[in-house]
Amino acid sequence: METAMNSLMSARGVSKHFGKVCAVDNVSFDIEKGKIVGLIGPNGAGKTTLLKAVLGLTECEGELSVLGLDPFRRRKELMQNICFIADVAVLPRWIRVCQLLDFVETTHPNFSRDKAELLLAKTKVDSRRDARVRELSKGMVAQLHLAIIAAIDARLLVLDEPTLGLDIIFRKEFYANLLSDYFDEERTILVTTHQVEEIENILTDIMFINEGRIILDASMDSLGEDYVELLASGEKADRARAIGPIAERDVFGKKVMLFEKPDRARLEQLGELHTPSVADLFVAKVKGAAA
Amino acid sequence: MIGHQLALIKREIWEHRSIYVTPIAIAVVVSLVSLAGMVTVSAFDKEVNIALFGAANIAGDAERQAALTVFFLGTSWVFLFALAILTTFYSLDSLYAERKDKSILFWRSLPITDAETVISKLLTAVFVLPLFTVAAIIATHLVNLVITTGWVMVKGGNAAHLVWGSVSLFDNWVAALVVTVASAIWMSPFIGWFLFVSAFTKRSPLLMAFMPLIIVPIVEWIFFRSKIFASAVFGRGEMIPLFREMDIEHFFDEDRMQVNKEAVSLLAHIDIGKFLLSPSVWVGVVVCGLFATAAIYVRRYRDDS
Repeated sequence: METAMNSLMSARGVSKHFGKVCAVDNVSFDIEKGKIVGLIGPNGAGKTTLLKAVLGLTECEGELSVLGLDPFRRRKELMQNICFIADVAVLPRWIRVCQLLDFVETTHPNFSRDKAELLLAKTKVDSRRDARVRELSKGMVAQLHLAIIAAIDARLLVLDEPTLGLDIIFRKEFYANLLSDYFDEERTILVTTHQVEEIENILTDIMFINEGRIILDASMDSLGEDYVELLASGEKADRARAIGPIAERDVFGKKVMLFEKPDRARLEQLGELHTPSVADLFVAKVKGAAA
Repeated sequence: MIGHQLALIKREIWEHRSIYVTPIAIAVVVSLVSLAGMVTVSAFDKEVNIALFGAANIAGDAERQAALTVFFLGTSWVFLFALAILTTFYSLDSLYAERKDKSILFWRSLPITDAETVISKLLTAVFVLPLFTVAAIIATHLVNLVITTGWVMVKGGNAAHLVWGSVSLFDNWVAALVVTVASAIWMSPFIGWFLFVSAFTKRSPLLMAFMPLIIVPIVEWIFFRSKIFASAVFGRGEMIPLFREMDIEHFFDEDRMQVNKEAVSLLAHIDIGKFLLSPSVWVGVVVCGLFATAAIYVRRYRDDS
């Protein structure tokens, strides 16, 4: 198996079955160092199962290597270099903020207490060191969790719906802090979320997963070249339809068509061209896969 | 490794405050009860004076020591009984609560193995809980000695002689420590079983833990007409192989018409060698280890998604 020098994670034929149900179906991909990869899929697509396999929380078939380690067999070593936020709810509700910091400090070799204190000082949690997690608001819990994660010198950060249930202000702040406090070219982020619009401008790469399979694995830069959205109407729309769009929808009486590997010169004559949003591309791909 | 264990055990104490709150509460109640007792007896002035006179002039050191030791023993059993209940609930909760509130995902995101986590919970149940109980027993003894001292002094007795001169603190405390920790080790197969149940059950760990203990003996009796399981499980509650054979005559020296001083020592009745050499102790430890291993396996391989 050949892996690139910068490869941080590689999957070859990874599958996971629950009884007869196949949650992840023969998936292969590579993730390089320094990327922010969005793993996007509808509910039940296998996102969480795939992330659990990556984190060594569940056993899977096929070859999976994260930081050069088999995640399930060598979870302890792996966790020294991986951080993981599953959902804002997972911090134990009974623990006090100061106890949490003490505990992570003694158990995590790559945790910097100073950095965590510095990051917390910028948040509302700062004045509530003696409060229990259950006494904090959901947004404050997310801030606390991110501060802890950002203070760990880890090579991979896995986020599974990290902003679920937070209001828009906290969500924006969360991703802004993620970029400023955590991310640099030595680090890699793998993130899943339903709110694609909020993260599409920070992603470098994107993977779509549906019914356990990866239906798109591309860099954000290549999306603009490989996909184009055409806004057309009337007879021009009919001509465009003949070229074979992968999706079509109505907007204010006009047709919006999505083309893969487009012949730009030809389409330009038929109407306005746009780069499609990740959300639209996702819907088109999932529907296309279902058809 | 040891640093991790200390941090993990500290975490257990943070999470389960009942580990120290329960013994403290019992210590307070026991002290209040004995205080109330002394206040009540004080109403009988004449009798109290006779008793004090008797304690000071007729009874010897051994009798006074026996009286205080019996009092200490009485209070210690309350603590041991509470410890049994506390340990049961602690072990049943220890691997269940983290799954119920999903914090297991956070704990498992740290570089700590499942084995380290389960071992920390086992150590907490077998050693940390008993140690807190012993500390509370000692504190209760001291508080009660102080209360008694005050009372004896108010009544005009010589407390230094009657109370402090008669008590063998070291003997009582070491005995309390040995009995408490040995009881926890003796009962460790149950602790292992509770940990295992709390690792696998999806609901009601208490019910899941005790149902088999009731159903299995019944099934065994119906099909095999035997009581092997019942006697193995419930037999353990009966006699811990820690004490020497009791000889009631040994307590009282009939020739001299007084209590034998050596017989009052609690430690003199404890035989640690007998405990350590007892096969049933070690069978229990092995059973506990097997259940704990199963709990580690379940925590590691189970997938709740």
